[in-house]
Amino acid sequence: MRLPVLAHTGPRQWLAFAVVIVAVVALPLVLDDPFFILVLQSLAYLFIVTLGLDILVGWTGQISLGHAGLYAVGAYTTALLTTRLGWSFWITAPLGVALAGLCGALLALPALRAKGPYLAMVTVAFGFMAEVTANRWSLTGGPMGIMAIPGPRLPGGAEMTPTQYFWLIALAAVACQLIANNLLTSRVGRTLLALRGSEIAAETVGVNVYRWKVLAFVVSSAYAGLGGVFFAHQNGFINSDTFVFSLSVSLLTSVLMGGSGTLYGPLVGSVILNLIPTIFARLHEYHLYIYGGIILITIVFLPDGIVGSLLKSRLVRHFRRAPAAIEPDRGAQAFAHTPEGERPVIAVRDLAKRFGGIRALAGITLEVRAGIVHGLIGPNGSGKSTFVNVLTGLYQPSAGVVELRGMPVQGLKPHRMAALGVTRTFQSIRLFGDLSVLDNVMVGFHLHLRSGLAAHVLRTGGAMDEEAAYRRRALALLEFVGIADRAHETAQNLSYGQQRLLEIARALAVRPTLLLLDEPAAGVNPTELQHLSKIIRDIRGAGVTLVVIEHHMELIMGISDVVTVLDFGEKIAEGTTGEIQRDPKVIEAYLGSPLEAGHA
Amino acid sequence: MDAFLVKTWQALISGLGIGSIYALIAQGYYVTFITTGALNFGQGEFLMMGALFGLTCYVTLGLPYALAVAGAIILVGLMGVGLERVAIRPVLRHALSLSWVLSTVAISIILKNAAVNIWGPEQIKFPSPFGDTVLRFGEAGIFPQELFIIVAAIGTVLLVQVFLKRALLGKALMAVAHNRNAAAVMGINVQRMVVLAFVISSALAGLGGILIAPVTFAWAYMGTVPGIKAFAAAIFGGLENPVGILVGGLVIGLLEQFFGIINSNLKEGVTFLVILLILAVRPTGLMGKKDIEKV
Repeated sequence: MRLPVLAHTGPRQWLAFAVVIVAVVALPLVLDDPFFILVLQSLAYLFIVTLGLDILVGWTGQISLGHAGLYAVGAYTTALLTTRLGWSFWITAPLGVALAGLCGALLALPALRAKGPYLAMVTVAFGFMAEVTANRWSLTGGPMGIMAIPGPRLPGGAEMTPTQYFWLIALAAVACQLIANNLLTSRVGRTLLALRGSEIAAETVGVNVYRWKVLAFVVSSAYAGLGGVFFAHQNGFINSDTFVFSLSVSLLTSVLMGGSGTLYGPLVGSVILNLIPTIFARLHEYHLYIYGGIILITIVFLPDGIVGSLLKSRLVRHFRRAPAAIEPDRGAQAFAHTPEGERPVIAVRDLAKRFGGIRALAGITLEVRAGIVHGLIGPNGSGKSTFVNVLTGLYQPSAGVVELRGMPVQGLKPHRMAALGVTRTFQSIRLFGDLSVLDNVMVGFHLHLRSGLAAHVLRTGGAMDEEAAYRRRALALLEFVGIADRAHETAQNLSYGQQRLLEIARALAVRPTLLLLDEPAAGVNPTELQHLSKIIRDIRGAGVTLVVIEHHMELIMGISDVVTVLDFGEKIAEGTTGEIQRDPKVIEAYLGSPLEAGHA
Repeated sequence: MDAFLVKTWQALISGLGIGSIYALIAQGYYVTFITTGALNFGQGEFLMMGALFGLTCYVTLGLPYALAVAGAIILVGLMGVGLERVAIRPVLRHALSLSWVLSTVAISIILKNAAVNIWGPEQIKFPSPFGDTVLRFGEAGIFPQELFIIVAAIGTVLLVQVFLKRALLGKALMAVAHNRNAAAVMGINVQRMVVLAFVISSALAGLGGILIAPVTFAWAYMGTVPGIKAFAAAIFGGLENPVGILVGGLVIGLLEQFFGIINSNLKEGVTFLVILLILAVRPTGLMGKKDIEKV
């Protein structure tokens, strides 16, 4: 388990950066040796690439074995434009970054739905395409490469000295780290970590998974492009031998060695791994043994990486500041709605869902009136969960109409449904396990947070204030479900019952008009059950309409205004709890027909 | 016969040849993926070890060809035991679900270094046991080794499938693939089946190496590209579909050779372009199961 640092930048961090900048400036002056300065340059730009890769791998939970390709895009763009067209570095460098970012967006297309080894294949294929292009295309010069790439010039017109060039790269590296810190410790990092935790849960609270994954790919690729730009102008020569699969492997290893999903892991990992060839230069014959051995040892014995393991160690945890105490904002109950009268919130007509030959829903017609608790029961396999999945947009219906306050919404994606005020909890709990309890609720506020990327990079007052205000509201929601005392705990450390309550709090943060609870009482103990039914009644009291799937009859009969019974994907009964309990068809569905019962 | 037809005919044979090697290696990916969800990203280096070890047996020691083949298969198969123990078992439960990618790549890096140390960095000619006489079909010429590759590789792929479907041991392995816990309750030693999967996978790569070496030369760096292309073949058809994998291997082999007629640069890139396009449309491969996540 990794504990991402979602702390806010304080004066201490700024001080630390000032120290780093002084060190960076002083380093090449103190150790004034051409080879040493060259090594420093390489460490700095490889660090930038590694940091970008961590945004993708550590924070978003994707994998890339093709980052060498993006690095190549940056390098060749600037190399070609400066040598062929004679453009200035200061113009070609941003272009290289932009083009790499664009390639990242393209790469995101096949990478979006592919998972595991399939995703690995997407990135491997991209990396090889870049490698083959660099190697075979006449423009890139293949193994002969591109020569006489001019270095960047100072405003006066003089070419930068190696030391000055190092300062430039290091300055960019520090800026990259700052941008990453600000982004990753803000709602951006939180949203990315949510994707890593559960894409499905993130969607149902309104996160447009597609957009955010593209964002992660673009930022990550832009970092890789910038690294490539600096590489191209380092020696004035590049060729296709650099941009190979093993570079991608080495970058990924740097991320894991430092600690994926940490802020400073990439720095530690990339510096150590990239110094190894320099240190073991004399053992040339064996350097692949050493290198392979280091990768293996890192993966097997340091799965959290160096920084990740340190963060988990008792010593560091002991010194970590406790999160600042915040006061819950109980003002307006965050999720309250004015009741919408008696008309249906959602109306479903002839809704069907087939999986291959299996009919999970066989034409269901159903209305959910506003402001009530609508119970949904039925034996296992009767189609209840499928029904909720179709209603919240996780499954596409095979046929039929879903109307939300008269508007057809069937087939809309989950994040669109969330934006329309429809969200849910899950039968098998889907929390963002690495995030704190409070941050889980904060992800729920996704649709209501207004401040954008730039505001978070710059840490504007507006963005900070918004964040603080919503943290107080989040705490109020946790208080409402009764787990405020665990706000700063990691979500996966909660008990089962508490996790279910947290899912409800997170769903309420969306401020839904219709909330669907999929078996909220499963695995909940009897004391918690009382608490749960009170919460459900309170939510209803605040004007939210609820659909509750449950096997626990006492609970469902206690809280529901209307109950619908499904069996084999069809609606077999509907009515008040009393009517349902007497309905012979319902009794048959649950207990079997009287004849069968007689035989049993 | 006009020149284009000759080329097409030759591309067909060499495409099937290299394609059946991809299919052979990819079958190894299939066996381990269904049992563990992991695969050996260094499969190409296992192929290389098969070729070089076969070379030592066949040329240096002068053993009969059949013995050399058996030796290569057994040795590389045994390497699979080590691979599972060192690079797979310790990382399967890691938080980062793709740790095995890097741990198996690490092994492949070490193997490459070892191969250079033992056999040197040069390309070494591996004489075909069927000689270098070109078989003439009209104006098209084909090496007998190419025909042997196709027969031996596809035959082995089919044999593996028969083993998995018919033999008791193979059925036990498939049981583990379907449901680990249920298999364990039925008295199947799950851990042993996982090892077996990696032994089969590695042995297939070893066989691939000794088969292909007479066509490509044997050397330390021969494996990387076939290993990755075989991965593409497995992804093409869908990692869990053995028929799809066989088709994928042959299609990719043919695609490469046919594009090679037009332009040798296209030959190198076409596989990856095609695989990107396929995954953009079908994220679990062309013949893979559609992934419906249960919610």
